[in-house]
Amino acid sequence: MTDVILEKVGKTYPNGYHAIPSVDLSIEEGEFIVLVGPSGCGKSTLLRMVAGLESISTGELRIRGERMNEKEPAERDIAMVFQNYALYPHMSVYDNMAYGLKNRGMAKNLIEEKVSDVAAMLGLTELLQRKPRQLSGGQRQRVAMGRAMVRDPKVFLFDEPLSNLDAKLRVQMRVEIRQLQRKLGTTTLYVTHDQVEAMTLADRLVVLNKGKAEQIGTPMDLYNKPATPFVAAFIGSPSMNLIDANLTEQGIKISEALTLPLSHQHRGGIVWGIRPEHLEVSDEHNADFALRILAVESLGAETLIHGKVETELGNGDPMVVRLSGPHLPDVNSLMWLTAPVLHWHLFDAKTQQRLRD
Amino acid sequence: MIENRPWLTFASHATLLMGIALVALPVWMALVASTHPASAFGAGHIPLWFGDAGAETWGTVLFEKAGNGVDTPVWFMMLNSLIMALGITFGKIAISLLSAYAIVFFRFPFRNLCFWIIFMTLMLPVEVRIVPTYEVVANLDLLNSYTGLTLPLIASATATFLFRQCFLSIPGELVEAARMDGAGPWRFFFDILLPLSRTNIAALFVILFIYGWNQYLWPLLITTDDAYYTLVMSIKRMLSVTDGDIAWNQIMATTLLAMLPPVAVVIGMQKLFVKGLVDSEK
Repeated sequence: MTDVILEKVGKTYPNGYHAIPSVDLSIEEGEFIVLVGPSGCGKSTLLRMVAGLESISTGELRIRGERMNEKEPAERDIAMVFQNYALYPHMSVYDNMAYGLKNRGMAKNLIEEKVSDVAAMLGLTELLQRKPRQLSGGQRQRVAMGRAMVRDPKVFLFDEPLSNLDAKLRVQMRVEIRQLQRKLGTTTLYVTHDQVEAMTLADRLVVLNKGKAEQIGTPMDLYNKPATPFVAAFIGSPSMNLIDANLTEQGIKISEALTLPLSHQHRGGIVWGIRPEHLEVSDEHNADFALRILAVESLGAETLIHGKVETELGNGDPMVVRLSGPHLPDVNSLMWLTAPVLHWHLFDAKTQQRLRD
Repeated sequence: MIENRPWLTFASHATLLMGIALVALPVWMALVASTHPASAFGAGHIPLWFGDAGAETWGTVLFEKAGNGVDTPVWFMMLNSLIMALGITFGKIAISLLSAYAIVFFRFPFRNLCFWIIFMTLMLPVEVRIVPTYEVVANLDLLNSYTGLTLPLIASATATFLFRQCFLSIPGELVEAARMDGAGPWRFFFDILLPLSRTNIAALFVILFIYGWNQYLWPLLITTDDAYYTLVMSIKRMLSVTDGDIAWNQIMATTLLAMLPPVAVVIGMQKLFVKGLVDSEK
């Protein structure tokens, strides 16, 4: 059953700024949708429009078939977790979680039951009488989630909830959020700028760029078949090597001195892409091209090699190679690489759309 | 200070002690004078130790009449002062809380203009607008009434400004979280805003209470009925006896009594006061 539908939803600010032209998205019940994009892409605005904290200029928002455009946030049966948690500083953890229920006029014993259930689920039972300032970052985060959960809403909204935590805790909370969402089966809309968070959490991802949904799909869809160079560069770390090239009869002409053979009916300017992990080291005779090594980053489990494509006519486009395990090539030496055709991504330079393989 | 120089410690302590003596000496003299008969102070030499007329003077002043032409006892004037001071304090706090709430959290046309107009009234204290204000109060038939004593003084640009700053420091996410939690404007005001500005309210209470208690010119102007005389203005009236000697002992006792409530408020609310001025709990 479709739970949340955004139909041509757009946002124009009173000063004329066109933040979001038009977004179409339908979310299935229980689905975990992540809105991801660089800062300023409109992802938070979109979330806040669903929440009712920003008005919807055009289009329609429906939750369970009901039009929500004009409803107050509290009437939409949604709960939101804010970036800075937004816990009421003067209230105890218990009151923080109970406040929304009290305002809805729920009976006291019922509130108590609900809060203690959720607190037990999140491991907050011992902390119920504490004030937010007596809690650590991770605990505050849990309280904020608990406050959303007690309401038992139709939709959870998360606005970059992990960005204030340290790296280790972030990973831990990420896993926890995912588990909780699975367990509760509540439809979730989650905003982040961190593509790792996006990839690991999402059932489906929405990559936003300048208020436009560049691509909507499962994490693996986006990784394997990015629709635009923007998505290609955004998903995956380190990001995909993208090089402006020309598709000719001989193949992909990357520079005057380097052409990779390919038969394709498309002609003209393209963007050629290959992920760093798909480049393979080979020997001089079988290689597609050589890389002049500029820097080596050894991370133990993998090694990132930054370099420039080297041809007879000099150094060309920058490129990153990702090799598993430790490697210690000399900086400034040459490295021979093959780029398997299977992993190529081709985009039309003009329309920025993916070319059919 | 990390420095450890004995003479410096000595010098600073000596300076502080001198300062205390300087401030406390007049209070001490007033206390001593109130225990001597009326003649002792006027005779030219100033006694420095307690006399034996203390109990009588204090009893008369507090419960019978203040003397020197003022026939109401001090406790009654104290009550008047208290009503006026508390009326002004609570009135000021309530009005400025509401106006700051409107200015910060509601979007309405000319919002900023409203704020600046309120702010501009800083330039118009009672003393400046005393004639027109008197006229208004007189026309409203509020002379010789508690309303007349308090109402014209309860608008406060300072307090509005202070609360505005306090409200502005409340993160927007908190407001939004309250909206999601179904708190309407009044709920938000009472459940979130008031508790969060608790320390600011306390700090303002102290300042405003002293301001209200020490009102002199305004009560002097609009009360002609003994029933509404406040303590501070009565001291002045006690000094202007036309015939006979001034009963300094009674005046001193009255003065000391007039000092007590502000002192009590400052001491009682010291902790909150400092907290409200120094830190914000957000």
